Amino acid sequence: MKYEIEGSPDYGLLRVTLEAPGEQVVAESGAMVAMDSQVEIQTSARGGFLSAAKRKILGGESIFQNTFIAKAAGQNVWLAPAPEGDLRAIELARGETFFLQSGAYVAHLGADLKLDTKWAGVKGFFSGVGLFLLKVEGPGTVFFGGYGALHPVAVGPEGYTADTGHIVAFSAGLDYSLRSFGGMKGLFLSGEGLIADFGGHGTIYLQTRDPRLLADFLHPFRPVSSSD
Amino acid sequence: MQFELNYRPSHSLATAHLEPGETLRAEASAMVSMTRNLEVHTSFRGRPGAGFMQSLKRGFLGGESFFTNTFTAVSGKGHVSLAPKLCGDMVVHELTSSHELFIQGSGYVAAPDSVELDTRWQGFKGFLSGESLFFLRALGQGPVLINALGALETIDLDGELILDTGHLVAFTTGLEYEITKASAGWIDSFLSGEGFVLRIWGRGRLYVQSRNPAEYGKTLGHKLPARQQ
Repeated sequence: MKYEIEGSPDYGLLRVTLEAPGEQVVAESGAMVAMDSQVEIQTSARGGFLSAAKRKILGGESIFQNTFIAKAAGQNVWLAPAPEGDLRAIELARGETFFLQSGAYVAHLGADLKLDTKWAGVKGFFSGVGLFLLKVEGPGTVFFGGYGALHPVAVGPEGYTADTGHIVAFSAGLDYSLRSFGGMKGLFLSGEGLIADFGGHGTIYLQTRDPRLLADFLHPFRPVSSSD
Repeated sequence: MQFELNYRPSHSLATAHLEPGETLRAEASAMVSMTRNLEVHTSFRGRPGAGFMQSLKRGFLGGESFFTNTFTAVSGKGHVSLAPKLCGDMVVHELTSSHELFIQGSGYVAAPDSVELDTRWQGFKGFLSGESLFFLRALGQGPVLINALGALETIDLDGELILDTGHLVAFTTGLEYEITKASAGWIDSFLSGEGFVLRIWGRGRLYVQSRNPAEYGKTLGHKLPARQQ
């Protein structure tokens, strides 16, 4: 099994080559672009329905995931995230964990890789910002995407601060606390104005565009309802 | 202060590197991340004569922010990374005392405090084109970070150019402009879809964006479900 990422950073596209029959890749529902003809798709609520429902409600992931299984040697599956932007791979050793912002998960390799939704805390919950995180635990390789380029920042003892709308993923070993930012900013821009102060040691991946700002830009252009 | 630009042109990210004591001013929504040794202040950037709600409304409709964040490196060096709302490029214009820069409302991202921003209305007060031609006037010295929807074309003009109002990002002093109709007659101008255009002449620099935010917004926004008033 091998993989290749093309089109970075603007339009990341993942190609997984399943080299032997029986090899498989699991992907978020809707992520498939194309595949060779000797690939079987199995749709499942991974981890059981309740666990999948929790991921859907809390983490913004789909309930269903697709498993692509090779029926012959040398089968390709092409996968892409939904927004225009980059796609990256993180290879995790056994027991190594990595956190993804809701919606960033695209696919993974490795039958023993664990996905679980982690509650990000009271402040994240009440702000409606959806700082629910998908906790990924190795062994395996996880692929994630974002809106715009994915910008890695190495965090050391001096810490780092990032806007929650731009945080896509971060490695274990980092802890964070949330606070509001920019004074009245949070009042007017849909749920914006929450930032995370990181401490510890690790890497944060930031998306260089915030989908909520695109939504804010488009809002005034929506047709206006004529009823009531 | 140095700006570092990455991921150009589509999903550009600018990092402003601050020396100890340096201060950067940026649009409120532009901050992506920063080092933790910065002191941040938020201020309301209203327009003289415009009330709070009025500024708010204009800001929403014109895509402009009315809050400015000020970042100061209080202990040692620091940085702030910045991005515009939409996909597209950013460039740094080096402002000197020999000229000023006029930036169309949503084109401005950030500048050090050595650059003064005048938020007066310029030019076309009460104009009926439906496109807001609001300019920020930047004066002083230092790098000014501007952004475009799409690619950013730099034109050093010595002569005359006709430009769609929605594609203008910024221009320097030395250039003069007037708003005019695109075709000879008013009806042709209307039917051509070009409506009003800018006639710009003189000698100076011009920044042009390859996409028009109003057209972009209409194309996507009209496909969205209706909103309440």
